[in-house]
Amino acid sequence: MAYSDKVVDHYNNPRNVGTLDKSSAEVGTGLVGAPECGDVMRLQIRVNPETQVIEEAKFKTFGCGSAIASSSLATEWIKGRTVEDALEIKNTDIVKELSLPPVKIHCSVLAEDAIRAAIGDWKKKNGVAETATAEAKA
Amino acid sequence: MLKVIDSAVPVACWSCSVAHNDATLFCPHCSKIQPPPGSDFFSVFGLAPRLNLDLPELEHEFHRLSRKLHPDRFARAGENEKQWSLADTALLNDAYRTLKDPIHRTEYLLKLHGAEIGEEHSGKDRKDPSRVPADLLEEVFELNMQLEEMRMERATGEPDPELQASLEQAKRKFDGLLDEVDQDLRAQWQAWDEGDIAVRQAAQKTMVALLDRRRYLSNLVRDVTETLGV
Ligand code: FES
Ligand SMILES: [Zn+2]
Repeated sequence: MAYSDKVVDHYNNPRNVGTLDKSSAEVGTGLVGAPECGDVMRLQIRVNPETQVIEEAKFKTFGCGSAIASSSLATEWIKGRTVEDALEIKNTDIVKELSLPPVKIHCSVLAEDAIRAAIGDWKKKNGVAETATAEAKA
Repeated sequence: MLKVIDSAVPVACWSCSVAHNDATLFCPHCSKIQPPPGSDFFSVFGLAPRLNLDLPELEHEFHRLSRKLHPDRFARAGENEKQWSLADTALLNDAYRTLKDPIHRTEYLLKLHGAEIGEEHSGKDRKDPSRVPADLLEEVFELNMQLEEMRMERATGEPDPELQASLEQAKRKFDGLLDEVDQDLRAQWQAWDEGDIAVRQAAQKTMVALLDRRRYLSNLVRDVTETLGV
């Protein structure tokens, strides 16, 4: 299958690969898996406690090129946004940006799941009430 | 797309016009080859759709039909029949490969019954927490990290023997987990084959979750095996 140029670019030069300190109160960690294929993805955020802005985002994905590109893109998009703002990102936005074919849609869903899981973890750590959408998922 | 089971509708033979079940590769009346049927894989072999499949019977039918489809037999046949013999052979091979493998067979039959499995997963029930083996994710992720470290060490020199040993141990553990999943799957087969609707639905749900779990495990076992070369 041919990957789009944007996927190839993120795949060859993934942005923000890495690890943040899981035990830090400012860090939220989301570890998610795709039952479709068995791939796994970890996405972490460091949130400024005053402004609730995501100042740093890191990911590590063991999976296909589309999953790597989706998570790389996701970290770029959430950096600089507030957590509430970051929750607005939908997997369909990722599909559009990366021109993912139908069989690769679940790879973008994985990235959306990872954002939500990381934010959920951060909220739990910091006693922030879950929003309705995050609650429905939990 | 897959068709719903029991959809085998009668069609008329192109040669003798006698109606027959559309699952058959050869007309039961005049024995002429038929175009590839649109029915499910089980009926191609005349088998009932079951998970506990009669494997010797499947193999026997496969060889019998393969012989009947042999190109030599169609050397002097019309163009249509030649084409059909090729298409029927492709279908037969596909059906055989799918049904003889226990995991592929299970996935195939559950899909026929509307389960969302593998790449065809549309996401409808992916939020169902029972589908996500959370206990596993953490371990799978950690092990992937170790594998990556191992590959890096390999590339630059001698890998750490401790890391090697820990990966080998993990491989044994995951092999064991994979076996467990396979046993659990088999235990559901009978329930699915013989149960009423409610029993069947429960078994289906359990099997879909087991297959999800299995995908993570088998990926991991594959990657560990590749990296360790054992
Ligand atoms: S193929 Fe499953 S995450 Fe891409
Ligand atoms: Zn006939």
